[in-house]
Amino acid sequence: MRDIQKLVDFITTSNWLILLFGGIIGLVMTPMKFAFGIILGGLIVAINFHLLKNTLKKMFRPEVVSERGHSVVSNVMVKYYIRFAISGTVIFLLISKHIVHPLGLLAGLSVVVASMFMATVLELTRLFFKEAV
Amino acid sequence: MEFLVGSVWAAGIAIGIAAFGCGIGQGLGLNGAMSGIARNPEAAGKIQVNLLIGLAMIESLCIYALVVALILMYAHPALKGAITAAFGH
Repeated sequence: MRDIQKLVDFITTSNWLILLFGGIIGLVMTPMKFAFGIILGGLIVAINFHLLKNTLKKMFRPEVVSERGHSVVSNVMVKYYIRFAISGTVIFLLISKHIVHPLGLLAGLSVVVASMFMATVLELTRLFFKEAV
Repeated sequence: MEFLVGSVWAAGIAIGIAAFGCGIGQGLGLNGAMSGIARNPEAAGKIQVNLLIGLAMIESLCIYALVVALILMYAHPALKGAITAAFGH
């Protein structure tokens, strides 16, 4: 249980770290619009991830599940659609007003996926080394 | 003009299919998690974490589709040429 909680903590921390390093690299090496894309895209998904985490922590406790039953699912889905609508509007404004470069935005939006990929690779490496020993 | 219409159609279909698939995927995931927690409340923590990771992955897929759809409509590299050809300015 502690291991699996560690995984989420690792993903949460590495989200911000990847965003920070990606933003710095973007600011130094790429045009301003591309760097803005990385930073704003990363911020959108990192905040989304935080909100999703809070929602699930609040809703998926045994007491709440046994008390509310299947209405928990609809509650989580409604919250998901609200979050998606807000982030969709922000992304729409960023792309339609040409505030950011679309490819930079795509790179920024991949922050959470990248940190999950990193966490998976680290877990797999740990597993292989454990088996080898 | 046909290019513009095609772009808008492609964008609409892309986000429609993505939202449909992601909605179904998330619903199934949440349903499974609910059943799991109801049957075995002690496993709630583990289920929560796996659910969180799964849902975040599904959500990012839908956001990618949204970005691609918006790129097709507003930031397509050939869009300026098509607008000039269609409307003459």
